[in-house]
Amino acid sequence: MFRFRLYWTFTKKAFLRSAVYRFDVWSRLGSNLIFLLMWGSIWTALYAGREEAGGVSFESMLTYIVVSQFLTGVNGAGTPLWEIQEKVRTGDISLELMRPFDVPLRYLFADFGSVAFYILTALLPLYTVMFIFMDLTLPSGWETWALFIVSAFIGFLIRYCIEMSFGLLSFFLVETGGIVDVFYFAMSLLSGSVIPLWFFPGWLETMAIYLPFQGIYYIPNAIFIGKISGAEILLSLGVQLFWVAASYLLLRFVWNRASQKVVVQGG
Amino acid sequence: MPIIEVEHLMKDFMIAKRETGFLGAVKSLVKREHIKKEAVKDISFSINEGEMVGYIGPNGAGKSTTIKMLTGILVPTSGSVKVNGIIPYENRQENAKNIGVVFGQRTQLWWDLPTIESFELLKEIYQVPDKRYKGNMDTFTEILGLDEFLNTPVRQLSLGQRMRADIAASLLHDPPILFLDEPTIGLDVVAKEKMRTFIKEINRERSITVILTTHDMEDIEKLCERMILIDHGQKVYDGEIAVVKERFGKTRTLIVDLEESPHSLKLNGGEVYKEEASRFWIRFNRDEVSASGLIAQITETHNIKDLTVEEPAIESIISRIYQEGYQDLPETVKL
Repeated sequence: MFRFRLYWTFTKKAFLRSAVYRFDVWSRLGSNLIFLLMWGSIWTALYAGREEAGGVSFESMLTYIVVSQFLTGVNGAGTPLWEIQEKVRTGDISLELMRPFDVPLRYLFADFGSVAFYILTALLPLYTVMFIFMDLTLPSGWETWALFIVSAFIGFLIRYCIEMSFGLLSFFLVETGGIVDVFYFAMSLLSGSVIPLWFFPGWLETMAIYLPFQGIYYIPNAIFIGKISGAEILLSLGVQLFWVAASYLLLRFVWNRASQKVVVQGG
Repeated sequence: MPIIEVEHLMKDFMIAKRETGFLGAVKSLVKREHIKKEAVKDISFSINEGEMVGYIGPNGAGKSTTIKMLTGILVPTSGSVKVNGIIPYENRQENAKNIGVVFGQRTQLWWDLPTIESFELLKEIYQVPDKRYKGNMDTFTEILGLDEFLNTPVRQLSLGQRMRADIAASLLHDPPILFLDEPTIGLDVVAKEKMRTFIKEINRERSITVILTTHDMEDIEKLCERMILIDHGQKVYDGEIAVVKERFGKTRTLIVDLEESPHSLKLNGGEVYKEEASRFWIRFNRDEVSASGLIAQITETHNIKDLTVEEPAIESIISRIYQEGYQDLPETVKL
């Protein structure tokens, strides 16, 4: 039996909790903007005045970068990898085993709360202004908007399952530096968050297409700028759904193993 | 009727062995050896409904490990645990509804939420009916004085306030069993006393079964009738505290201040084990000789200025049991 009300309470509390950390919201928004400016300038320089590259117009490319930074903001507002590791290390997560709820779900719903707060108070106002004053490509119909939102949400779930699974590996490993590197490498490059997949060399593109990370940034973004359209969208959503199921199973597997192996500090 | 049953409980931990030196470091990159540490080895006990039991032992004895197996956080290596008819680690979420847990060393409240919101969250988590929640909150607020800090975030609470909030939080869902892991650690005398009164009251009025681990023997003396003493992962003693006190409590110490400073004091039935100028510490067995008998012997040759008779504190009895074991200890012990 799924107790929605219980998990929803976590969403509400996390929303309220975010309000306590206003400085955190502003500093995160600040760094988000800096990265946006950086990637914007880099791509402007790379296009070097050309109207089009790789079959994509400069305007679309700029839109891609803006949407990508928006999604980075959304995904970054959840419980980050280091915090999950910290909670494993201090035993906080283990102690939650003696509460009558499912721990991975409880963190997911709490993340909904903090992400919603960040979107409403910071991301949405900023990016609305950006879309009004910059020359960016907007989806033509409401269907594309809806599909983008659905796709971005599925992407968020894929990212959550993978990030949580990676974080829970701290139960088994003492040193996790390597894990963190692999995670961030995949998250920034293979997801297409900074360089769209169509600019990848053939072999890397093939690799990225067969991995779940493209479902987090590339697919929703490609839907937004119209790089993927028509029946292709449904296919991409299908791919995302496959990966959300797979990463959810991975998370369940890691969690089950981890909760059998709990070691809480102390005699 | 037993509400907690533990049989032949064992818990091993594998600890990675650290090799020393450069070669050792390289070797451990490829292959790491593990050492088995037996935190709990073969512990059995059963606790009846409504009992309040002191579960004590020195640091690293396996107290917290046992508690964690009872709460379901840890999976035993072997043996069986049953808490209110449920095997905790197999059914953590069901078990959770039957237990309340307080860890003195860490809070289980949400660090950055106002205290009241942690309570509200717990109300949802444990599906406490509105009426019950209100009733409990009223009672706890009254006894523990929660109202002075309900709107303060948990991270800003003083240790005493935090402990009060934590124990109230652990009882919101009316669990039949309460685990208290060092609930008075770090508290001042007044706060300790308040905490003890509260624990005693909830045990009596709600007949909650309480298991208490602590290093403060006063907690045990004031709260529990029964104690389970463990050391090196094994049970050393399980029974009434009064029995231990009776068995080892026969030793008395007579401290006398004399008007002069004799070189020595020879007494029948008493042993001088410490002397300092004109003050003498004399140990004797209450069953063999009376204090007045000893005093009479002393006054035959000396003038007594002042005297006191001390009985052993449970604390020193227990520290002796740790050192020498329960069975091996002579009844009249040096305390």
